[in-house]
Amino acid sequence: MKQKRFKYLLISILVLSVSAIAVAGKDEILLKNGNIITITGADIKGGDILIKGSKIEKIGKNIKAGPDALVIHLNGKWAMPGIIDSHSHIAVEGGVNETGNLMTAEVDVKDVLNSEDYNIFLALAGGVTTIHTMHGSANPIGGRGIVLKLRWGSTAPEMIFKGAPETVKWALGENPKQSSFSMGRGRYPKTRMGVEASIRAIFEEARDYMKAWDDYDKKKDNKVKPLPPKKDLRLEVIADVLRGKYLVRCHAYEAEEMLSIMKLCKEYGVKLAVFEHGLEGYRITNELIKYGVGVSTFADFWAYKWEAFKTMPHSAALMAKRGVLIALNSDDAERMRRLYLDAAKTIRFGGLSESEALKTITINPAKMLGVDKWVGTLEPGKDADIAIFNRHPLDPYTFCEMTMVDGKVFFDRAKYFEDRKKAEEIKKQKEEQKKAEDMKKKESERKPDENQKKPDPKSMETQAPKGGN
Amino acid sequence: MKRRQFCFLLLLTLFLILPSAVFSADETLHSVWAVKDCKIVIQPGRVIEKGVIIIRNGLIEYAGPVVSIPADAEVIEGSGLTAYAGFIDAFGDSILKMPEEKRDPSKMYSGDFSEKERGIAPEIKAYDYANLTKAGISKFHKSGITAVLVIPSKGIFTGQASLFSLSQTGKEKAVILKDNLLGIGFSASSVTGYPDSLMGVIAFLKQEFADLAYYIMHTSRWENDMNGISRPEYKAEFEELLPFFTGKKQVVFLCRNQNDIIRAIKIGSEYKLKYLICDIGGEAFRVIPELKKSGVPVLLTLGFKSPSTSIYSQQGKDVRSEAERELYPSNAARLEEAGVKFAFSSYSTPEPDKFLGNIMIAVEKGLSTEKALRALTVDAAAVFGVDRALGTIEAGKIANVVLSVGDPLLKESKVKYVFADGIKFDMKEKKAEEGEKPTVNVSGKWEITTEGGMGMKFTLELTQEEATLSGKRITQFGQDEFTDGTVSGNEINLTITINAMGRTVDIYVSGTVEGDTISGTISFGAMGSAEFTGKRIP
Repeated sequence: MKQKRFKYLLISILVLSVSAIAVAGKDEILLKNGNIITITGADIKGGDILIKGSKIEKIGKNIKAGPDALVIHLNGKWAMPGIIDSHSHIAVEGGVNETGNLMTAEVDVKDVLNSEDYNIFLALAGGVTTIHTMHGSANPIGGRGIVLKLRWGSTAPEMIFKGAPETVKWALGENPKQSSFSMGRGRYPKTRMGVEASIRAIFEEARDYMKAWDDYDKKKDNKVKPLPPKKDLRLEVIADVLRGKYLVRCHAYEAEEMLSIMKLCKEYGVKLAVFEHGLEGYRITNELIKYGVGVSTFADFWAYKWEAFKTMPHSAALMAKRGVLIALNSDDAERMRRLYLDAAKTIRFGGLSESEALKTITINPAKMLGVDKWVGTLEPGKDADIAIFNRHPLDPYTFCEMTMVDGKVFFDRAKYFEDRKKAEEIKKQKEEQKKAEDMKKKESERKPDENQKKPDPKSMETQAPKGGN
Repeated sequence: MKRRQFCFLLLLTLFLILPSAVFSADETLHSVWAVKDCKIVIQPGRVIEKGVIIIRNGLIEYAGPVVSIPADAEVIEGSGLTAYAGFIDAFGDSILKMPEEKRDPSKMYSGDFSEKERGIAPEIKAYDYANLTKAGISKFHKSGITAVLVIPSKGIFTGQASLFSLSQTGKEKAVILKDNLLGIGFSASSVTGYPDSLMGVIAFLKQEFADLAYYIMHTSRWENDMNGISRPEYKAEFEELLPFFTGKKQVVFLCRNQNDIIRAIKIGSEYKLKYLICDIGGEAFRVIPELKKSGVPVLLTLGFKSPSTSIYSQQGKDVRSEAERELYPSNAARLEEAGVKFAFSSYSTPEPDKFLGNIMIAVEKGLSTEKALRALTVDAAAVFGVDRALGTIEAGKIANVVLSVGDPLLKESKVKYVFADGIKFDMKEKKAEEGEKPTVNVSGKWEITTEGGMGMKFTLELTQEEATLSGKRITQFGQDEFTDGTVSGNEINLTITINAMGRTVDIYVSGTVEGDTISGTISFGAMGSAEFTGKRIP
């Protein structure tokens, strides 16, 4: 039993490095003497942050904490709000696209979360605390997405961001029309106008569906009770889109199709929340502002396909300067870990201010996801989601040292390396132990071994003539 | 020429004695048996040190300390033997021979996939495809397994299960429960239309259940009053699903990891299904609170492989192998500790002996022997609601009894006799019968051509381990695997069971190996025999 326990311990040490390093029992944490980037105002040099439970209690200078508080000395390190990635596909199991149908609003990423995706930990290592993980861009109307807090080590339901509005993914252009598909079945639509028409068609279908239920509701108390309409889970979601229940996240590249879909949405009273990628958005900033839609885009990733050519690395900054709500996203598990460097590129290329640049990975994506009440800035009353960097987060040599979600430390670089070292030492010890045991075994076996070897050639000899026959 | 004649004679004699020699178990058609002076494990925890078991017409007539032995009984001397209820494999597909699916490439363009191709096949019955061969049954008997639940495992609605007593090749008599369980899987096939993702599968199931509820409502309203209401359309698929959806029969969710288990519990409780969980991923121990709350029995597999979704699989080989050595084999022990009901499934360990070997590893990892035995007998019977007929050695139950030298689940114990439905099988030590050491190594591929009218060509892929031979026969129509072949001197003997036009045929192959060539006889049971020659494919 003891040995068993020891083995469990061994494994748990290996895993500890990647599970929640929760500061047990500490309800009060004081981050002391750091450079605090609040996003709301000027940076506080040599400031403190007091955390009570999962919330930020106080930010300022010379804050005093209770006697039981855990004090973490920042010694001039930089604290900023946890980074928010509003376009991600991690922690999803069994495919991010349901390509079996053109319209798949009925599928829900919430049903297929895998809370053990290692990319969650890697994201934390890059200071990311909140993500929006979603359906891919295969279909004009894909599935529903979900906002997660990266509470690494908890179950999927525990990671879901409570109170975050539900989202639904749309996609226009080359992906839904499958222009890069060299094989496979040819699917309607094959053109951009077809993609839009398919959305219009399902809106009409959903309107009919809503009407059928309205009619039924009116007559259901009649003497002769009518048959109810059949429940259609796909149209239920589209109907809720028409009712404005969802934040619509629409994948689009070209200016023309963005203009066109905004027109269609106006016609049906649907509100688009965000264009995903929107690389040509800089060409239609007036229209974007007038409509009131955000753009979640890349810093300098373009020209990977035809519809992604007509842009430049200045695009995000150009849009932001004109007043469009801009967020930088990863769309990728690797880029996710260095979103702060992507933010810096908006300064290098487009001349954004440091504050504006940092907003593109904090409060702006929070606004897009409807979670800015809780996260995106460092303010008293907000969730204690904090990323701590050794240098200014926009410094090219910076890296994230610690990440907190809800006042709990989920990534601690120093501790992570310490745990890794420990695990390696234990492994080494075990290997040496095994080696010693093997040596012992060999020694004790050597003598009978030699005895056995002698008759061996003989048996070979007796066999040889038989085979040669 | 001389050699040929010799071979012919040898093959002739072999052929004459084959039917009894090839199988390690002999069955005797006698209906009344008395096993006396044996130790009887009535059920785990209840042992009679010395007693008598009377078996009559397939049922246990008596099991207890003393009884006068009926005059018409054939007596088996049981001293030194332990009797226990035959084990139940609660979820297996190794004896299922599904027809090979042919992919029509044009469908990739048309997209016209059938329901079956999309994995929606509740109408598939394991009963129709179960292939009960003597060799197959014998393999189970060696491990003391006398009943197996067979279920198709591909797709979303995978098909319906049957529980077989491993007593005879005739399915009509061997079957205990037919179509008692519906399999529900979460794995979408990748190129065969909607749904082709996991999230699609979940959404599909929800829509399907909503449609079923509507179908029931509509049908009952129409049956209640046919006036003034349009009649419902008949749907064969829904008719198959109805008893499972309404809770009349059980469904089993095939869960590939801990997340699937949570998904299954969510769906099972939301739609009020009567359901089981088959823990294919071996991760039940990771969701014990949820399992306890649901009260759902689990069918545990024993592959001990960490699923790719698990954190252990994503941190390199060391962490993974450590977890597979320490954590995954302790799955059963952890469930026992928590009081979760379970039975064992051979699903990820297709060879029955490996299945039992891995249960012993689970015992090493803390599972109590008593619980292991319960899971293999009474608990498994209870999961399927057949505990009145199976699972213990008590009067009135089906005579599925194992007699072994040594207690069950010990490495050194050996199964001596197996009763299944009161039919006795003697488990002989096979290797002791065949004396000569192999002088050749036939491992590899061989191209075989039969002579005479039929002139068939096929490939034999052989794997030789000392004197035993396994492998497969590859023809243009498909592959048939076999095990339990033998190599003696430079001669090989093997039996391949194939499914030919709905019938199972045992093919006996006897050959003599000379360097890189082989010659001998192939016998197709009652369909005649032919000589063959072959050469090694380099």
